[in-house]
Amino acid sequence: MNFVSQDTLPSVSVLGFGAVTPMGRDLQLVASLLGRPPAARLDSPLRIADELLSDTRTDRALRRAGRSPRMAVLAAIDAWDEAGLACRDVAADRVGVIVASGLGPHERTFKFLDGILDCGDDSALPTDFSHSVHNAAAAYITATLGFRGRSCTVADFAVGFEQAVLLAQVWLAEGACDRVVVGAVEELGDVLLHVLPRMLASASIGARTVPGEGACFFTLGPSAVAGLAELSATARRDAVDLFVMDEPALPSIASPEASPPVRARRAVTFSPYFGHSATSSAFQTLGGLLCLRTGRVLGKDVHSARGARLTACIKNPLPLGGEGVLKHALVETPNPTASVDSVWVCKRSSRNESLSLLLTRPGI
Amino acid sequence: MGAISAAGADVPSTLKGFAQGSRNHCATLPFVSNLHCPTFQAPRNLSCPAPWDHSSRTLQLAGVAVREALADAGLTEFHPHVRVGVCLGTTVASQLNSLPFYDAYRRMGEPSLQPVYDFLGANLSQTVAERLNLRGPRMTVVNACSSGTDALGIAASWIRAGLCDVAIAGGADELNQVPLAGFWSLGVVSTRPCAPFDGNRCGLNLGEGAGVVVLESADHVQARGIKPTIEFAGFGAGCDAYHITAPHPQGRGLRGTIQSALAQADITPAEVAFVNAHGTATVDNDRVEGTVLASIFGNGLPILSTKGYTGHTLGAAGGLEAVFTVLGLREEWIPGCAGFTTQAQDIPIAPVRQTTQVRGEYALSTSLAFAGNNAAALFRRWK
Repeated sequence: MNFVSQDTLPSVSVLGFGAVTPMGRDLQLVASLLGRPPAARLDSPLRIADELLSDTRTDRALRRAGRSPRMAVLAAIDAWDEAGLACRDVAADRVGVIVASGLGPHERTFKFLDGILDCGDDSALPTDFSHSVHNAAAAYITATLGFRGRSCTVADFAVGFEQAVLLAQVWLAEGACDRVVVGAVEELGDVLLHVLPRMLASASIGARTVPGEGACFFTLGPSAVAGLAELSATARRDAVDLFVMDEPALPSIASPEASPPVRARRAVTFSPYFGHSATSSAFQTLGGLLCLRTGRVLGKDVHSARGARLTACIKNPLPLGGEGVLKHALVETPNPTASVDSVWVCKRSSRNESLSLLLTRPGI
Repeated sequence: MGAISAAGADVPSTLKGFAQGSRNHCATLPFVSNLHCPTFQAPRNLSCPAPWDHSSRTLQLAGVAVREALADAGLTEFHPHVRVGVCLGTTVASQLNSLPFYDAYRRMGEPSLQPVYDFLGANLSQTVAERLNLRGPRMTVVNACSSGTDALGIAASWIRAGLCDVAIAGGADELNQVPLAGFWSLGVVSTRPCAPFDGNRCGLNLGEGAGVVVLESADHVQARGIKPTIEFAGFGAGCDAYHITAPHPQGRGLRGTIQSALAQADITPAEVAFVNAHGTATVDNDRVEGTVLASIFGNGLPILSTKGYTGHTLGAAGGLEAVFTVLGLREEWIPGCAGFTTQAQDIPIAPVRQTTQVRGEYALSTSLAFAGNNAAALFRRWK
């Protein structure tokens, strides 16, 4: 395999990961469910059961927190715990946190607005305001786990998680942190659930989209530290074993000759299992990691309107070292028994932009 | 550099206002509210040309500052191969907090979705990058009140990592009813013009604006054949890991953050000419920040807070204060800390009371935020 574009930053090592998903928090169970057909109906948003948000280790510290910080903290704890020995001797002020969230803790924002509308500007509740800020999840992660390094919360409706991974690569490469806990969190509040059907009905991909919520975090370290996989927002390959797309179905390619394709043996999506959100590519990455871990292709196969040959056309306006480049994945001969050593995770936004992430088994 | 706030509609007018000690706070709010407190408002009519017209006020403020900054840098057009990153901080613009929308939802259940679409279409960095047709990384940082300073640090890291040649960095935020009610609920809004670091300080005033700097790689500067005036010399950031709103009582995170910024520039505290402090005029912030600054720099260092001229502009504060810090280095003077009159018993350092000469190569700008975020940006006068 050859790199086909500039790799400006070293990849990073995934030392652990954790998630709060509509299928639970036990990732072994989640992996087994991803090997079966998805259970979701298109008209059923994928929400997190309340009982999943309780944990005796954190219940007291999170007693004032809303759903979004709770999901984020639990996923981050699992990601940190799984990294175990690889993080044991790392100083607290060398651990960074990056949280991507499109909508933030909007349920709490609306609760604060309830206070304004019901009681006036001078009588809304301070706890609702302080927990409505976009970086509330990061605050609870750093306070709960005692991290005192850099912290950043990213707001983006398309590629926030990819931006977060890129920033983690930068922080680790420049030595600003020794470890970075990076992830994404989205909640589906009542207001959003109420307006989403109207919004999706008017969107071109709406009929195929299942809204979802949850949190997914990854403990990252420099690539010199042995981990479960290597992750990069800048590396490219001209062929991968598995192409993971954040859409249940894909458009055909407008001009497939525009650039050499990224060849993949198989293309899947995890959207029907985790749901779709502004930062759901974090869950696609989770699915890709579980494929690497189990050595099996999980998820739901993706087929374009023209069959299995042409799967996606991606205009990349965030070139990270080049101009806007048309990339597409080409699944030539689907091979259901192929091993999975490399995964290309890609999300396309409504503005037809994307960043992609490359996951590889260490040493590949 | 570009700046717009209550202190001035652009950098030259801001500098003039600083020299005159003008405090342009406003007694009336631009929205209906039962709160009575001064705020610091940027000019209401921004008269933004395309592509910034028909935008949210936050985007318009950002557009004004970005235009000024690019013109000041002599970068009104970019070669197609130049990679330009956009990293901007904000708070209000990141939230779906439209009161009319939510009120209609509560009353009718079927509100107009336009406010939602407007919100989804107004991501600050994405929109700036799209409207200027820029090619490079972008990020909207929402670290509450340190967002702007954090954005500068991230943009500088992008350039050092070779991800872009030029970066537009800073922050923007409009004055908004929701955060005003929020800070009021926390009991930290003053009903008088704010008095940073003062013994009788009793809270902050909210403001609005945008502050933007253009960072450029050394190679790109050389290729343009220009002589830069200021170097982004160091950056530090760290968390208190203590409380969602209150700073750590001993300023644990801020201390490490400032030390990181000094270490990145490989300088000692004695080499810093002045500090443009966060200085919100809240009891807790100013006590913690003043104590940390005194312990690192000694109590003879000139410090100031510019919140007395701009109010607390939240996501814009780090960007605006970066511009003001650079101005201090360039002009070799800083304005008096507007609002300060009385030495505080709980703060072992006092800000400058009047326009003060500052000589030296380095100056520091600090930011503290909800979530225990701390950030410090260090600037150096180019020799």
